[in-house]
Amino acid sequence: MTAQSLDLGLGVLDHQLVDSEGRNCGKVDDLELGPLGEGEAEVREILVGGNAWRARGFLGRLAARLGGQAVHVPWSEVARVGAVVELKRTAAELRLGRGDERARRFVERIPGASR
Amino acid sequence: MKQFLQIALGILAAIGGFVDIGDLVFNVEAGATFGFQLLWVVVVGVVGIIVYSEMCGRVAAISKRPVFDLVRERTGFSAGLATLIASEIVNLMTCAAEVGGVALALQLLSGLPYRVLIPLGVLALLLLSWYLPFEWLERVFGYIGLCLLVFAVAAFKLVDDWGKVAHGLVPQVPATNHAVFLYFAVGLLGAALTPYEVYFYSSGAVEDGWGPKDLRINKITAVIGYALGGFLSFALMIVAAMLFLPQGIHPQLIGTPALGVADVLGEVGLVLALVGILFAVGGAAIETSFSGAYNLAQFFGWQWGKKESHAGAPRFALSWIVIFLLAMLIVMTGYDPVKITEYSVIFSAVALPLTFLPILLIANDPAYMGSHRNGKVANVLGILYFVLILAIAVSAIPLMVITNGGQG
Repeated sequence: MTAQSLDLGLGVLDHQLVDSEGRNCGKVDDLELGPLGEGEAEVREILVGGNAWRARGFLGRLAARLGGQAVHVPWSEVARVGAVVELKRTAAELRLGRGDERARRFVERIPGASR
Repeated sequence: MKQFLQIALGILAAIGGFVDIGDLVFNVEAGATFGFQLLWVVVVGVVGIIVYSEMCGRVAAISKRPVFDLVRERTGFSAGLATLIASEIVNLMTCAAEVGGVALALQLLSGLPYRVLIPLGVLALLLLSWYLPFEWLERVFGYIGLCLLVFAVAAFKLVDDWGKVAHGLVPQVPATNHAVFLYFAVGLLGAALTPYEVYFYSSGAVEDGWGPKDLRINKITAVIGYALGGFLSFALMIVAAMLFLPQGIHPQLIGTPALGVADVLGEVGLVLALVGILFAVGGAAIETSFSGAYNLAQFFGWQWGKKESHAGAPRFALSWIVIFLLAMLIVMTGYDPVKITEYSVIFSAVALPLTFLPILLIANDPAYMGSHRNGKVANVLGILYFVLILAIAVSAIPLMVITNGGQG
């Protein structure tokens, strides 16, 4: 994504992440910012899941303790920011597919799971 | 013509799907205790659910996003998580209550022991939810749930003076017994304004790809479907008022109203009433477990949907399975399902402002809704109902404690 200004609080944070195949793969749980000269900052990474919730208030801190490591997605992987945040690659390639993979192992044992 | 048929079928399913265990318990108890005096509260509740679900359907059609997605986006992680936790607790309790209702209805139909029928009932619901395509599920449970119309037939046969019934539509409070009256009023409103139906409805709308052209269907389905569903609530209350109030019967089991129908319409009436209850409550059990899964998936951003294969949305599928199993465990403790129902309705009333407020805010937000944001009517009603919901939320638990769950 090329440099442009965004209202991070309203436009990105807590928005749905969608991978290159159009599948939901988490939310923008937190953002890692870096300085960009005078009074400005650029987004370096999107943090998804687990301890990314640390910075999100009291309940977030509690939830972060139960969650694992957050997945870091570099901002360069973002294709487009609209109502949802679209990514350039698949969830698996960005390591955002782990939760689904784990659940799929259970679900697939039941006959008729992929009808 | 085809569209008309589609709307009609949708409305039929909505009527059959309107009544759940909360409506059964509270309408019947209210009728048995106060006769027709609480009928007007049913009207207040039905108008409320029409306003609320029309708004949710409209938000879903315009923003293309389901409720919980927006709750988190609009209120942030912490407040959203608090709403999620409250909703999941209420959803689970409601699902448990519905599962208990399924087992009780099966018991009355088959004569087998209740404890055996709980896991059997849950297994049947799991298998149906797993293997049947979703339109089928919705229609099968909705249509067979229409057997509940025997209560309307029974009400017509029982009532000799419709003037008295009509008088119940005038807002009133009895001279004595205020606290119990208010407790039932809160229960009736809580049973009518169930958030799980709204989550379910809005998620379905997003999945079916609703857009601005569907707003008319949204309005028609909400208004007619719920209004006609409200007539079933009337019928339940009227039957209870005619049969149980004069004899001082305090119905403790959800089977009691069905036995009441047997008095008037014989064995066929009894079987129809029980089958209607079984499918209405069973359908609601499926809706609550799916609502719980929708909320989790939409909050955490998982792939979700009833059209997706189970392996394609594995965390969503696992969620509704786990909710069913947890609900089964709760009912297996042997705790009275009528009590579970009362608690679930009362706690649902307490949590209601948490889900109502974000919807009201978003439905008014031009950034999400553009020209389709709330008009004057929707806003006046929306705000009136929000105030009412706040009053209900604050008073629900104190009233339950003071009245000992409506026992007086």
